[in-house]
Amino acid sequence: MDLLEELKAKGVNTEEGLNRLMNNTGLYQRMLLKLADMLRKSPVDLDFDNNDCTTAIEQAHALKGATGNLSVTPLYEAYTKAVDLLRAGKPEEAREVLRNLIPVQEEILTIIEKYK
Amino acid sequence: MDNKKTILIVDDVEINRMILAEVFKDKYQVLEAGDGKAAVEIMNQNPSISAVLLDILMPELDGLGVLRKMNKNGKIKTIPVFLITSAENEDMLLEGYNLGAIDVIRKPFMTHFLRCRVDSVIELYAHRNELERIVLEQVEKLNNLNQSMVETLATVIEFRDCESGEHVKRISSLTKALMEEVSSTYVEYYLPQVEIDKIASSSILHDIGKISIPDSILNKPGRLTKEEFEIMKQHTTKGCEILQTIPNLMDEGLYNYSYDICRHHHERWDGRGYPDGLCGDEISIWAQVVSVADVYDALTSERVYKSAYDHETAVNMIFNGECGTFNPKVLQAFQNVMEKTHRD
Repeated sequence: MDLLEELKAKGVNTEEGLNRLMNNTGLYQRMLLKLADMLRKSPVDLDFDNNDCTTAIEQAHALKGATGNLSVTPLYEAYTKAVDLLRAGKPEEAREVLRNLIPVQEEILTIIEKYK
Repeated sequence: MDNKKTILIVDDVEINRMILAEVFKDKYQVLEAGDGKAAVEIMNQNPSISAVLLDILMPELDGLGVLRKMNKNGKIKTIPVFLITSAENEDMLLEGYNLGAIDVIRKPFMTHFLRCRVDSVIELYAHRNELERIVLEQVEKLNNLNQSMVETLATVIEFRDCESGEHVKRISSLTKALMEEVSSTYVEYYLPQVEIDKIASSSILHDIGKISIPDSILNKPGRLTKEEFEIMKQHTTKGCEILQTIPNLMDEGLYNYSYDICRHHHERWDGRGYPDGLCGDEISIWAQVVSVADVYDALTSERVYKSAYDHETAVNMIFNGECGTFNPKVLQAFQNVMEKTHRD
């Protein structure tokens, strides 16, 4: 299996992501690496203040946009849900979503980084 | 240097910028900004930007902040802005539209649709901007033509009246200064600058009717008899008749001001002027202003029937009521303008 097949098996919509990049596979791979870097360096800090979620919203919102544009669907859906919950004033439920996301995200990152 | 149009991509997430750049790089020169503040600077340095793809949530200055700045500097009128966002907040998107955004594109976007929408809007804006440029050019040509025509007519009158062309120029410039003073001081007389400029141009034609007055009266080196004065007074109504023969040659606004000034620049605040005996604010403010300007210039200029008075004497004669009664507010404006010009 190659990178795209492995990601597809994890629910990443690689066809859509590639289409967005004019089917430039090399560029898509480079973007995925950038995304991995972003997720490692700027994760949502789960220790956010329940009374002031501004920073958590900003972080999750940025990751939602980037994962969505690369069609990393499992992460995109989770960050979308987390942002919605944070905006709806449900920080504990958002934290739960983000916590459950960690192993899924780790699996995807490992695959991406394997093909570095 | 190729002829590609330029688009600006504004997003704080590098990945999003890179994806959009990839989508548009073949057709457009792509500039990128990582926050709103940088975007505004880039727009100021690159006047030829054809479109902006703008994220909403960003540090420093967000997308709505960029739109506000574009409203302030007028760029929103010529540059289409697409909000590209994953935010679902409808109030925010509505505010974006209200601030002039042309469209909202949701992330993750569909490449093909995004390209089609951006391409077609850029083409429409280019077409619209070109049409506006052509219209402005035509308007300027028309204004110049109007101005030349008015000046030509005025020169004919001046020639006939044995005066130099300087009289009408002085009337025009004093009318403009007085109108600006009156307009900025008294809210009831407020007029936009474009109208004041038209009034100043129109004032040049205030004496066009003198062309119909016989030389023996117009250039008589002495006091006019009662009968002669009655004929002289007809220059106001005769002027209107002349203007009525050329309405199509003038801008409508210019024609209306010229007609009114021509007819009413000898009316007086107390109703003792001519030809209609109007009083108070029955007389338009522009006709009132031209009256004062005309009287001041007549007093300070040499005529076949009198020598020129000095500035102070002329001002005193106007304030003493020796030249008829004027609107106290116009007189105050006249005094302010005179103080400014004679102080400088």
